[in-house]
Amino acid sequence: MQVYQAPLRDMKFVAHELHADDGFGDLPALAEFTPDLIDAVLDEAAKVAQEVLLPLNHSGDIEGCTLENGVVRTPKGFKQAYDRFREGGWCALASAPEWGGQGLPESVNKLTEEMIVAANVSFSLYPGLTHGATTALESHGSDALKQRYLPRLVSGEWSGTMCLTEAHCGTDLGLLRTRAVPQADGSYRLTGGKIFISAGEHDLTANIIHLVLARMPDAPPGVKGISLFLVPKFLPNDDGTPGPSNGVSVGAIEHKMGLKGSATCQLNFEDSTGWLIGAPHKGMEAMFTMMNTERVSVGVQGLGIGEAAYQSAVWYAKERLQGRALSGTKNPTGPADPIIVHPDVRRMLMTMRAWNEGCRALCGWVSRALDAEKHAADPEVKQRAADFVALMTPVVKAVFTDLGFETANLAVQVYGGHGYIAESGVEQYVRDARIAMIYEGTNGIQALDLVGRKLPAHMGRYLRSFFHPVSGFIAERKGDAELGKLVEGLEKAFGALQLATATIAEKGMADPEEAAAAATDYTRLLGLVAIGFCFAKAAFVARDRIAAGSAEPGFYRAKLVTARFFFDRLLPQVSAAFGAIKAGKGSMMALAAEDF
Amino acid sequence: MTAEPIRKVCVIGAGTMGAGIAAQVANAGVPVLLLDVPARDGDRSAIASGAVAKMLKTEPAPFMSAAAAKLVEPGNIEDDLARVAECDWVIEAVIERLDIKQGLYAKLEAVKRADCAVSSNTSTIPLAQLVAGRSEAFRKSFLITHFFNPPRSMRLLEVVTGPDTDAALAGRIAHFADVGMGKSVVRAHDTPGFIANRIGTFWIQLGINEAIDRGLTVEEADAVAGPPMGVPRTGIFGLVDLVGIDLMPHLKDSLTATLASDDPYQAIARDIALIGNMIARGYTGRKGKGGFYRVNREAGKRREAIDLASGEYRPQAKPPPVRGVLKALVESKGKLGEYAWALLSHTLAYAASLLPEAAADVVAIDDAMSLGYNWKAGPFAMIDQLGARYLAERLAAEGRAVPRLLALAGDRSFYRVEGGRRQFLGLDGAYHDIVRPEGVLRLADIKLGTKPLLKRASAALWDVGEGVAALEFTAKMNTLDGEVMALLGEAIPLVASRFKALVLYTDADNFSAGANLGLALFALNIAAWGEIEKLIAGGQAAYKALKYAPFPVVGAPAGLAVGGGCEILLHCDAIQAHAELYTGLVECGVGLIPGWGGNGEMLARWQAAPGLPRGPMPAIARVFETVSVATVSKSAAEAKALLFLRPGDGISMNRDRLLFDARARALALAEGYTPPARPEFRLPGESGRVALGMAAQGFHKRGLATDYDMVVSDALATVLSGGGADPAETVSEEQLLTLERETFMRLLHEPRSIARVEHMLETGKPLRN
Repeated sequence: MQVYQAPLRDMKFVAHELHADDGFGDLPALAEFTPDLIDAVLDEAAKVAQEVLLPLNHSGDIEGCTLENGVVRTPKGFKQAYDRFREGGWCALASAPEWGGQGLPESVNKLTEEMIVAANVSFSLYPGLTHGATTALESHGSDALKQRYLPRLVSGEWSGTMCLTEAHCGTDLGLLRTRAVPQADGSYRLTGGKIFISAGEHDLTANIIHLVLARMPDAPPGVKGISLFLVPKFLPNDDGTPGPSNGVSVGAIEHKMGLKGSATCQLNFEDSTGWLIGAPHKGMEAMFTMMNTERVSVGVQGLGIGEAAYQSAVWYAKERLQGRALSGTKNPTGPADPIIVHPDVRRMLMTMRAWNEGCRALCGWVSRALDAEKHAADPEVKQRAADFVALMTPVVKAVFTDLGFETANLAVQVYGGHGYIAESGVEQYVRDARIAMIYEGTNGIQALDLVGRKLPAHMGRYLRSFFHPVSGFIAERKGDAELGKLVEGLEKAFGALQLATATIAEKGMADPEEAAAAATDYTRLLGLVAIGFCFAKAAFVARDRIAAGSAEPGFYRAKLVTARFFFDRLLPQVSAAFGAIKAGKGSMMALAAEDF
Repeated sequence: MTAEPIRKVCVIGAGTMGAGIAAQVANAGVPVLLLDVPARDGDRSAIASGAVAKMLKTEPAPFMSAAAAKLVEPGNIEDDLARVAECDWVIEAVIERLDIKQGLYAKLEAVKRADCAVSSNTSTIPLAQLVAGRSEAFRKSFLITHFFNPPRSMRLLEVVTGPDTDAALAGRIAHFADVGMGKSVVRAHDTPGFIANRIGTFWIQLGINEAIDRGLTVEEADAVAGPPMGVPRTGIFGLVDLVGIDLMPHLKDSLTATLASDDPYQAIARDIALIGNMIARGYTGRKGKGGFYRVNREAGKRREAIDLASGEYRPQAKPPPVRGVLKALVESKGKLGEYAWALLSHTLAYAASLLPEAAADVVAIDDAMSLGYNWKAGPFAMIDQLGARYLAERLAAEGRAVPRLLALAGDRSFYRVEGGRRQFLGLDGAYHDIVRPEGVLRLADIKLGTKPLLKRASAALWDVGEGVAALEFTAKMNTLDGEVMALLGEAIPLVASRFKALVLYTDADNFSAGANLGLALFALNIAAWGEIEKLIAGGQAAYKALKYAPFPVVGAPAGLAVGGGCEILLHCDAIQAHAELYTGLVECGVGLIPGWGGNGEMLARWQAAPGLPRGPMPAIARVFETVSVATVSKSAAEAKALLFLRPGDGISMNRDRLLFDARARALALAEGYTPPARPEFRLPGESGRVALGMAAQGFHKRGLATDYDMVVSDALATVLSGGGADPAETVSEEQLLTLERETFMRLLHEPRSIARVEHMLETGKPLRN
């Protein structure tokens, strides 16, 4: 059974307690978002997620989307849920107040996102894609375009899409073929086909605004010749009502492994009118401003699904009676003990729990940096925050989605045979989680971004934003009587990360293939150390709160246990990743292609 | 070669060239009489003395030291010409007019000693015309010595002798020019433009013509005719901006008037309207309002380039990427490749056609272009990159004349290495060894015949003969890292067991830019503090091991030797430096302090310096003054004044002689060598630090030092004053090293130091934070 109660206590721990000393300081620009207000937003978001979105998750998966006569229908209840969601102001949460948004800090917004994706990731894509399109338009669009489109996109009255992929080009967008021909009035006519377009067509909003990558006739070849265009499904009338149809049609909707409630469309543009966003041939840049924040959000999908899978597994492990505990019967009145008594089930549950709490803690830190990058007054802090975001974006995207999939998979294992049956609801999490490792840049691409771009940039300056706080923390806390051992574990892992970083920098300079061969393991290694650092910090906070006589000693004691579990059972994965990195590309690249 | 020394020189003509030549003679330590026409009123020698005064304000400075400037005595040709009798050599550098030169020679003939050489710095007038009407005795003493501008730094000297020139006298001048003035002498024949300008002018004219005819932008032309051809970044148009656009018509007129009518230059020489207009409007290049490129100050210092068709300025464009391999370049399709082929094929064919007319062999031509135009490869070395056969065949296929020399080469190259020796193809069709002048030793030549004794990623050890080993740095800009220190560690026992002495030497333009900051910054960014401290401690230990090694160590630096590159020199027993030495402890500029023993070595030197007041403070204050503002010497002579060099250290004027001279110095020290004693320091401790801080405050108050400069200089003051030293006790070298290392590591944690290092690496400029 799909069980989900938003982990509000842990979320508030991350929002208010864990990162108080992260070096980004207070952000006066966000002062209006008091802890009380933040808690209220989180509480309300939890209600929407649990009461409106969660009930549609399993049914939406079974029913899926349908295409009839060129019209896409979302699963039963989605339209009503979307209307409630929009009327509640949830579409506009993170957008700029200037366009009708609420300007919520990312450090809060990412938590609400987690709740929404945990409850119903298929549903989340409709407002999610709109938010992505909004960001790109806000950063690069002309004033006229912004005035015309942004208010309705922000309110959720209209929705948005990002049209990148074509049948023959995904990762390598330089190959794309959709044409944009300039017109005398300054607009363009777009012709071409796009695939894998999430929310490309649906029945939730009155209009759909597509952001489309296309090539102008005089464009240079490759990625340097791609421009970004805004192409509405219906050309809006001056009063804002949807006007004539604009030649955008749905060829098909994809039959996918998961995300069945989300309409993934093949779109055809035939002489569709569009307007340039940003400079000619600079479409990739415009796209990437959006892509970077979206990548963190995709990471959060991994976390959200992981949390839902964990809670569903805990529920089952307490319900399901099989066998007796090795340490003696725990449920003498029943025919058997609940399976939660078994060490291997504990292993799975604790693993899931630790990944979720660790990722949430790290995401909280990155979100704080997103806010500081935007709002910090001190340019040095702003720079450091931007460096940290640049460094951690590929880590959050790749590691969180890998772990989300692992966690969902463990949930199925806890359920045993029942987990493999659709009715249990947990196999859906595996299918839904899988795509996050692929879209918005595959995790392999994330790893290359980290190793090839982020690591060498400015002679390693981005790394400083992470390595120095960790190094300082270790130096300061190593001698702690109670938690010193934990810090020593972090120090050892951090030492491996330093060595791995130096090795990749050195080898990669001489042979880029060496860096690429190490990329995925390095990304995991960095993620493990970052999560370890967050757990170490969390342990100190928890210890201090208990010592100070907290009214919630249970929460903090559990946090200490989870942290210890992470250090005992998960952080040692650092050794494996480090070993793989040290081995180099040799055996990986030795076989000739024809020998495969 | 033992030639009679040159004791005094007279330079006539105090224009840019004459004055610059006089300065370089003075830099060689020889007194100079600098004469020009008398001023109309007031001081009759005002023109010459004005030229000297102007040079004292010029950057880069023509004089290497204040002492050198004092060796130049201004005069005028009416009152002082008779004093030519005091001189061994008269260099005429007056205006390029035959009648004026001939008139001057007539007067000189009357006053000069018979054994006094007279040479002209003409760049265009044939020797035969210059000496027309002079006595045989004068003709015997006459030659052309063609210097390049600026005479201090341009290494080429073209020497032309006539049929009557006394060989011994010419040898004496060439020897002084070589050893004394540091010039590389290339013997040229008495033909118009000699070698370098003959080919260079052809190259420039063709480069401009072809760019205009083919519709290239100046940026495109310079991107092709620059680094891909081994030519400086200035390319064609940037070079003309540098030397002066107004010089172009003069060169053209002079060469068209003197070259044979069938010379290929005649066919390409043309007046270019654009250039005429530019000169008329004052756009004469960098010395004027701008040239083909300019900085538009009205548009916020925007860099602009001229449109060759319209003559209008427009924002400078990013140069197109051009492939570096010469053959691929001339074979590439499109206008850039075609431009490259046109320019190169005509220039190389022209150069090949100049033998034996302009010079005796290909080496002279290649040397002239490398030294005079800073080409990495001369024309024949470039032909070897393309293949003589390839060039000949492609010329033939285009129906163009194939120079006889190309046909003679056939499938062979103009240069080859045979039995470890570099050889060139002679005009007789046979290969001959390239014979370096006595006293010239190049590591590159040694490398042809031997393998390194030791080698690591950024350093190597070589046997340079006569029982001496040479350690060279090999990283980009010869930066220093753990690999260099490790090699030092390996080299010391090896040299101790098999060699008499060690020299530190590299053929590269710059001895060392100091520690590899990029590497250090990366280590710092990943908080690898332990590794960095190891690198510092390792460097300290390696340098001290070098200092106390059981054999003499001679540093032989040229060019830049800063930071750790200066510190290693401070640990040598002696230095043989190239005259062009820019050395200093520059760490404070990047928010750090010397970390490889530089503080103690400088303290020891100043404490031992004669003439300082008593007590520990004067020496400390001198080191503090020098190091806290990152002083860098502008010459080896200046480095002596700053005590980066000791008074007895040697200076080689000629870069090519540096290794030979250093080896000789090392051998001289090897006899009965004992390592130096370990110094002990008496340091004032806290009170000294406070005193230095008060001195620094003065700078700060006057706005000459930033807040953070005060933090950095305080760290330096802490080390120099011995930290918490008790003035009554002595501080050992080892204790001072520990203090130096700890203080260095402390600064490395400072965000503003990190920002300085980062800024230096990213922009090449210091950050004043």
